[in-house]
This record gives sequence, C-alpha cells and structure tokens, in this order.
Amino acid sequence: MDNVVREIRKNEKIVVQNLSYRYPLSNNKAIEDINFSVCAGESVGIIGRNGSGKSTLCLALTGLVPLFFGGKRSGRVLVDGTDVLEIPKEKLVRKIGLVLQNPFSQISGAKMTVFDEVAFGLENLGVEREEMLERVEKVLRRLDLWSKRDQNPFELSGGQLQRLAIASVLALEPEILVLDEPTSQLDPQGTTEVFEVLSELKRTGITIILVEHKFEKLVEHVDKVIFLHEGKVIGIGTPEEIFSMREIDEYSVGEPIYTSVCKKLNARKPNGKYPVHFEEAIEVLKGALKSHDTNG
Amino acid sequence: MAKSSKLTTMIIVLIPVAVGINYAGKFFAEALKLPLWLDSIGTVLAAMLAGPIVGGISGAINNIIYGLTVGPVSFIYALTSVGIGIVAGLLYKAKMFENAFRALISGLIIAVVATVISVPINVIFWEGQTGNVWGDALFAFLRSKNIGIWLASFFDELVVDLVDKVFTVFIAYGIFRALPKSLIYNFRQEQ
Amino acid sequence: MKAISLYVDKDTFVHKLEPVTKFWYALASVVLSFIFPSIWMGLLILSTSIFLSLVARVLKNMVGFVSAVLVVSITMLVIQGMFYKENVTLVFTIGGLKFYKEGLLHAILLIIRVVNMITAFGLLILTTRPSDMVTNLVQKGMSPKLGYILSSVLQIIPQMLSTASTIIDAQCSRGLETEGNFSEKLRAVFALLGPLVLSSLVEARERAVALEMRGFGVSNKPTFVREIPETKVDKTLKFLMKTILIFAISWRVFSWIMW
Repeated sequence: MDNVVREIRKNEKIVVQNLSYRYPLSNNKAIEDINFSVCAGESVGIIGRNGSGKSTLCLALTGLVPLFFGGKRSGRVLVDGTDVLEIPKEKLVRKIGLVLQNPFSQISGAKMTVFDEVAFGLENLGVEREEMLERVEKVLRRLDLWSKRDQNPFELSGGQLQRLAIASVLALEPEILVLDEPTSQLDPQGTTEVFEVLSELKRTGITIILVEHKFEKLVEHVDKVIFLHEGKVIGIGTPEEIFSMREIDEYSVGEPIYTSVCKKLNARKPNGKYPVHFEEAIEVLKGALKSHDTNG
Repeated sequence: MAKSSKLTTMIIVLIPVAVGINYAGKFFAEALKLPLWLDSIGTVLAAMLAGPIVGGISGAINNIIYGLTVGPVSFIYALTSVGIGIVAGLLYKAKMFENAFRALISGLIIAVVATVISVPINVIFWEGQTGNVWGDALFAFLRSKNIGIWLASFFDELVVDLVDKVFTVFIAYGIFRALPKSLIYNFRQEQ
Repeated sequence: MKAISLYVDKDTFVHKLEPVTKFWYALASVVLSFIFPSIWMGLLILSTSIFLSLVARVLKNMVGFVSAVLVVSITMLVIQGMFYKENVTLVFTIGGLKFYKEGLLHAILLIIRVVNMITAFGLLILTTRPSDMVTNLVQKGMSPKLGYILSSVLQIIPQMLSTASTIIDAQCSRGLETEGNFSEKLRAVFALLGPLVLSSLVEARERAVALEMRGFGVSNKPTFVREIPETKVDKTLKFLMKTILIFAISWRVFSWIMW
C-alpha cells in the first residue's frame, strides 16, 4: 500500500494508512509506516515486545496521540471513513472506548458508588437522567456488577475494577473497544473475568482491538493478529500464521506455551504452521509422538 | 478533540494530586517527628509544573478541603495558600528555580510572602495571634514591650513560617529536579 | 477506603435542607457577628446554631470542633486580658501579671465570634455529604470541572495517605532513619515523598486519559444521577437570610456614615 488514498470498503471500520508518530522530546519514531484495516465486528490482537509501539498504536487509534500527548503524527487513522482527529470529542467517545492496564487509574475518583462511576461518562455528555439510569443498569447487569452498585469503587478488587472500567466505557455504547493489556495487573481470577466479558462482547458485534501478552488467551479471542517490532509492522495474519513466523523467535516475542512445545518438537499442522490452540496442539503432539514411536 | 480550554484535563487531575502531596508531606513530617508542617509541598510543585494560576488554585482547594475535613479554621487561611502557589509559579517563570542557591532564595521569598498574607488574617480574626504556642509566646512578649499588634503578629507568624516554608520549597525543588522530563512536558503543554 | 469527610449521616430537617441554604446560614452568621461586635448578638447567633445542631443531632461532633480552638481561646484571654489597648479596670493579678476587665471582655467577644464561625460552618459540614454539596453547586452553575476537582480530592487524599503509609512501612523495614538528627530526617522525607510524587503524577496522567475518553469537559451542562431538590422551605430560608444580611449591612453602612 503506497501513499495513494485508496477507496475505503464499506464495512471497514478502522483504516490505518502510513501511520507514523514521534513523541515530543524524542528523536525516534514510536511507530512507523503502519498500515492495516479492521472490519466491523472483527477482533484484532496486537503483539510485540515491550517498546514495540503497541500502546502508542492504541492511543493513535483514539486520537489521543497526538492531540493529548503532543508530538508529530503523519499518515491517517480513519474510523468510519473520517480521520479521528476530525471527529469532535462527543462523537468520538461514543464511537471508541479505551481500557488501559492499571485498574486504579481508570476510575474517575470523583464518584462514591459503582453506579455513579458508570454514569459519569453519561453525565458528562448530558444524557437525560431517565435514559442514563436505564443504560447504567443495563451495563452493570451485563458485567455482573449490579450487586456492587452501591459500593465504593475503591473497595473493589483488581478484576472487578477492570470490569468497572469496561462497564464505564460500554455505557457510552461505543462500536469499537480498544484494550491495552487489560489483564496485565490482574490475578488469574480477574483475568478470567475480563476475558469472559470480551467473549460476550465479541458475540454482540463490537469491533475489538486487544493488546495482550497472555497469548494462550489472546488466540482464543481474536480473528487476526498484528505483529509489531520497533514501531513497524512485521506481519498481519491469523494467529497461527503470525506465531509461526521466524521473527517471533528472533525477536523473543513469546507465544502460547503449547506452541513453544510444538516448536521445540518441530510438530506442525498439515498446513505447515504451528498450532496455537490448545486442542489442536494436543492433536499435533499426539501425531508427533506417534511418529516418534514408530521411528523407534 | 481540542485541548484549547484553559482548565484542561491534565491540570484538573494535577490539582487533587497536589493537595494529596500536601497531606502526604504533613503525614511524613508527623511520622518522623519533624518540627515542621511541610503541608505545602504539593502546592509549590503544582506551581512549578503548571504555573502560578494552577499553583494558586491548588492552594485554595487545599484549604477548602482542610476546612471541610479537619475544621473550618483552615478556610480563613486559604489566601495564604493561594499566595504561596502564585508566588512559587511566578518565581519559577522568573527562573528562580534553576539551581539550589536560587531555590533557597525562592524559599525565603515565599516564606515572607506567606507571613505577610497571614498577618492581616491573624489580626482580623484573633487580634494578631497565630494559634501556635511558640509564636504566640513571642507575640505576648512583644506586646508586653508595647510593640504594635501588626509588628508583633508579623514576628509571631515568621517564627511559625520561616523555617517550614524554606524547607518546603527546597524539598519541592529537589523532587521536581528528579522528575522525568517527559512527565514535566505533559503538564507544560497547558501553559 | 472511605472518602475523608466529617459528614454525619442522620435523617433530620437540617440534613434535608439544600446545601446552599446551609451555606447562606453560615455566611449570614459570620457576617452578622462581624457587623455587630456585641457579646449579646454573638450569643444570639450562637444559640441559634446550637439549637440547629440539636435538631440535626450533631451537637456532640460540634463540641469536638469547638475544642480545637480551646487553646487559642485561653491564650487570647491571657494576651487580651493583659495587653488590650483599652485596658483600664484591673480585675485580678496573678503573680505580678495584671488582668483587666476590658481586655477580658474583648477576648470573650473574639472567642464567641470564632465559635460562631465554627458552629455555623460546622453545621454545614456535618450535615451535608460533600458529593451533594458539589452537585448542588454545579447545578447552580459552578463549572463541572471544578466540581470534579472538589469531588476527586476527597477520595484521592485517603488513597495517597494509604500509599504513604505503605511506603513508610516498607522503608522502615529497610532501615530508614526515623530517629536521628534533623538533616537525616529531612533526607528521609525526601526519600519518602519522591517516589510517591512520581507514582501519583504518572497515575494522574493515566487518569487524565481515562477522563478524556469518557467525555470529560464536553458539555458545560452535565446531567445528574443524584439531583439535589430545592424545596419551598429552602427558598424561604434563603430569602430570609439574604434579607437579614441586606438590612444588617445597610444599617451598618448607614450608621457608619452618620457617625
């Protein structure tokens, strides 16, 4: 894809074209020449080592980079055909939601109850009270937080707080949800809770962009993966295509643990790729062990 | 998504943190049994990061919150905190925090400003006293020598404020210097 | 983690009043006690406040507030008793120190004035939820951004103090000097505050991002989940107090001009 602006296909929710960005006070580009598109309802994972530009890309999708952080951006990020920088804030926050790593820094801190916290965004937008109460209840029940609605947000556990952050964002009914390592500060229980929510969201047709290091979970929840390294796109494809790339090992990115096992034993699927799903990996390994046996 | 409004989000999140730092400073001073208040470090830091107006607002909010949570007496001295914030911000802009020596001078200036602002408040509400035992003892002594209320109150207040404010400013300076430039930049954009 | 506040949760007439109404009462009390510097006026206002405290069942808490100025009151009695410029009538002597009637009375006036201030505002503070106060003010036109600052401060402070507590415990177990001379302690403050400031500022930046993505600052006319109603009683009381204030100030200005 070159600098010619190509026609946006109908169901392409997000189109990123030649996106580059440099933080202020920095000489290096945090991301360089990024190109990809995401269709409505797709779930896309972003992987890469620390410092590869994943978080910057997430922020660029919302326009916070460069508007909030300063610095210099070139290229475009189109959501529903319009550049995010040209979408007024009240429309933008209803289109895209952002969930970050740290559960504690995402609560407003100004509300005394879980209910009020979720309503915060709706209050900001001036939504009518009747509608506000309905939407908050709907989202709280959906995320299994209704029983905690009168509790102080600061009393929640990490996993509950992340669910609260997601609920607060979902109350605005965005079509796109960007999550930057939402489970990295959570325990296994919290992680499970968040991924359950993501499964349910996927079913409802929300477009999801997910940065995750827990690869075993990631591959179960995304349709395709974008592989970043040092700010550039190394590959875009299905999970098994990406995790089978040699650069995964070269750059020590990591992969689902059973994929590592398969790689060690050179146990591939018939299509030549390493399996990334648990069940598939079992099958492939069974086959590999069998042929190991028969070869003596 | 424009950032043109004066009271931008970065400043809005900075102010509560500044007040929190004020409380934390006081907490540490008490825990270490230091004979200092150290309850304005956050105000000074906010002023250095985001300017005199933000410093002033942080000071005002600080005293309003003290008033709501400790006792209404703090409401009255809000003006002093505002003064500290504004002067600290102005001094920073005047490059008076470039090195340790200048920071020390800034500390002295701020101490005097805080004292001068508090004196009229002292006079109006408690006829010149400060409520601090040592300062008021000095006040009583000076009044017994027929020194006027205003001057006596000035020295009463100075005793309470001088050392505390100089150290407050110096600690704020030290902490500021240790902050990563990228972080400082985030607050800087708002000016 | 409770927000820091002095609010006492009860269900009384005073509690149900609009916060702004109670604020007008506090303002009126303070202004009147300054405009009419007489012990009788002071006592009148004080008894009103005490009566209201009884109705609101917060008298006990009120006593706690007032005791904060006990020491200052005593020193004021001493200092005014001895050095007040209009001292003429000697009342008693203690070990060579002379105490005069005028000074003692003046001190009593000052003390009553201070106590009035504390009880009037104390009434507001003890019977109003801080979040309700903020909502009320924003409803009346205060900037929602300022409202956010006031609301979040009350929760962020205990958060930071709790972190501060953790930091000091952690550092103590690593041999931090909590005893020692002044300069050692000063260095300790530095070592404790530095990391706290850094982590708080970083977290603040993340919070700013979250706020932006939830439409913060988009509208100057937000809506409210918890609306504070303004009843007829509120309207009447506010009108009453504003009228009293206007009369009092006019009277004062008038009598000042006439003198």
